[in-house]
Amino acid sequence: MQIASKNIKRFARIFWRGLREWCGDAAYERYLRSLNAQQCPTKPALTAEEFYVEQLTRRYSRPNRCC
Amino acid sequence: MREPHIRCARDIFPKCDKILGVFGVKRIARVVIWVVVAILGAGALAKIAFDRGESLNAMWFVIAALCCYLVAYRLYSAFVAARLLALDDTRATPSERKDDGRDFVPTNKWVLFGHHFAAIAGPGPLVGPTLAAQFGYLPGTLWLIAGAAFAGCVQDFIILFCSIRRDGKSIGQMAREEVSKRSGFIAQLAVLAILVILLGVVALVVVNALKSSPWATFTLAMTIPIALLVGVYLRFVRPGRVLEASLMGVALILFVVVAGQWVADSPSWARVFTLGGIPLAFALMVYAFAASALPVWLLLAPRDYLSAFIKAGAIFALAAGILFVRPHVLMPPLTRFIDGSGPVFAGKIFPFCFITIACGAISGFHSLISSGTTPKMILRESHARFIGYGAMLLESFVGVMAMVAACAMTPGVYFAINSPPSIVGATPDAAAATISGWGFPLTAQTMAGLAHAVGEQTLWNRAGGAPSLAVGMAQIFSNTIGGERLLSIWYHFAIMFEALFILTVLDAGTRVGRFMVQELGGRVWKPFARTGWMPSILASSAIIVGLWGYFLYQGVVDPLGGINSLWPLFGISNQLLAAVALVVATTILLKMGRTRWIWVTLLPMAWLVIITMTASYQKIFDANPRIGFLAFANALTAQIAAGKIPAAKLVETQRLIFNQRLDAAVTAILALMVIVLIVEALVQWYGILSSQRQPLLHESPYVPTQWAEGFSGVAQGDD
Repeated sequence: MQIASKNIKRFARIFWRGLREWCGDAAYERYLRSLNAQQCPTKPALTAEEFYVEQLTRRYSRPNRCC
Repeated sequence: MREPHIRCARDIFPKCDKILGVFGVKRIARVVIWVVVAILGAGALAKIAFDRGESLNAMWFVIAALCCYLVAYRLYSAFVAARLLALDDTRATPSERKDDGRDFVPTNKWVLFGHHFAAIAGPGPLVGPTLAAQFGYLPGTLWLIAGAAFAGCVQDFIILFCSIRRDGKSIGQMAREEVSKRSGFIAQLAVLAILVILLGVVALVVVNALKSSPWATFTLAMTIPIALLVGVYLRFVRPGRVLEASLMGVALILFVVVAGQWVADSPSWARVFTLGGIPLAFALMVYAFAASALPVWLLLAPRDYLSAFIKAGAIFALAAGILFVRPHVLMPPLTRFIDGSGPVFAGKIFPFCFITIACGAISGFHSLISSGTTPKMILRESHARFIGYGAMLLESFVGVMAMVAACAMTPGVYFAINSPPSIVGATPDAAAATISGWGFPLTAQTMAGLAHAVGEQTLWNRAGGAPSLAVGMAQIFSNTIGGERLLSIWYHFAIMFEALFILTVLDAGTRVGRFMVQELGGRVWKPFARTGWMPSILASSAIIVGLWGYFLYQGVVDPLGGINSLWPLFGISNQLLAAVALVVATTILLKMGRTRWIWVTLLPMAWLVIITMTASYQKIFDANPRIGFLAFANALTAQIAAGKIPAAKLVETQRLIFNQRLDAAVTAILALMVIVLIVEALVQWYGILSSQRQPLLHESPYVPTQWAEGFSGVAQGDD
């Protein structure tokens, strides 16, 4: 029973994380992580709002939806 | 009773020992399972193909499709991955080498599969199979399954692989570098042309779905303020919190689907939202212009979020509904319209079935996605098989479900919804008599009752696929939840679902088209290429909307229903783009020295060239005015000369003649462009195969991966 509940919790956590990544909720956190991983970032980090607008502008300037 | 000395199969069959020793029990079990899956799939396909009973259960379609997809994925995609592409997981992908947290983002393969599928799955796999159902369920279903396994998935997979090896370059860039500069330019023009035609056609599908329907028009109109609200929330209140904002937006949309009934029931409000084809066409043009020119966070992106959630939910619901209801397919396997006299669109089964079903079997437009965002996010080369090949298989399954939904309704109703009055007759009684005469019994009362049940004034002459699919979906949904009482709600939910993500294609496509126009215009006058310069934004948005808007207007006023001319034109251009993608893939594979397995891309390419060139020739030169653009133009010219056209309709008829000639010219130009590209590629291939030319690959250099073997991207999660 304990194992089953542990597995369900694990699955729910993975699903939640995947859902956040799929829909874009985790994009800013990912960006900050990527920036921190760089040895000496050339630019200061964008704020959440700046990142959101910049990311959308880039995404919708190339084909991203098909027929 | 079991004999005590017999302990396992080895005791009964001692010779098996040797076999089990060589292969292993698990391996044999796996082989047995796959043989069972293959036999089950072949059996279900045979049942679909040869059953001539009164009706066939839809479960046979589901079993046949799923088993074929499993076998194709397990065997054919593995063969392509190992023998043709030799995927190499020790090689660092662009997302590892260039990780910037923005474009190049290492992403878990399941998440990227979701991204990729959401990007490739549009209205095409729903509308195409619905229209092709006029030939019967068999040809479309077989093409969906075989076309996806041997052509569509292969194209998506290989283009994705090629783009990964080139730091995520687009199909146009790859054509320029690997085939020739002229090919790159042709590919770029072909993309713009297909985009214009695509946007015109899908807009026509929306117009035909909303025409004279206050409920559907209100629901779709309300999605605009809802999207604006979500946009403002995501920009100013909780930046980037997409999940909560989208769920809020989806709840509001579901509410307006229900509220639409109150609008339709109120005479004064119903009048406001009852629009004809032409006002709806102009409303769509204004909307797309605004969405393209306004900041993307305000309208376009939030609408896309809402659409993605509703799309995922509706597709899942349709699959669950089909499994739960297990409807019977009432359409015959083949109809009399395989001879080319179909009322939905004219043309014989070959080549028009393969043109009509583009997305779902093979779609050239996918090559733009496979060489766009996905290659920049892929974690390992081996994931390309699951994402490129697998996502296309899922899209094909969506197409099979759409075919089931369309064929599960009474055939007479299907033809009544999708046939223009010029073919079946202008009055309900005349149309019902014509359709009954074809062998599909129907009465005007049946149609009136159905229209009333789904909350519409009429369901006659609603060509485009969306309303008939919505009726099919609503019948499946209402048999699952709510029964007859909820039929009208389900119908309008289905219409909203289709229209919402067609509008997403429309606004996102218009914006991308705007950038393409700006880039091309910048070659003539440099300031025009500045993407942030307002006069250039407005002018390029107006140009792209004007281009597809013209095709839309032409479709709305077309007496044959518009879909008859425009959907084949869209299918031809989409398949031509697929041929371009396969030409590029074949060239790259030849340069890589994979000559032995080159038939993997060469055969689907040859098939596409044959069907597109045959369809182009027939659409331009066929003597039947319902098929040939020029024949229709000539027939109208002859009618004017004979004085059969009243003076009041003279200008309209002359415009119609011009439109037919324009469609013929567009088809010819597209076909010619692809022929030029193929000739360029043939010269390249000859040079490589005869060793006259040293093959020059433009791959990024090999860099070994720094990630551990088991790393799946999950470690980068945030919990």
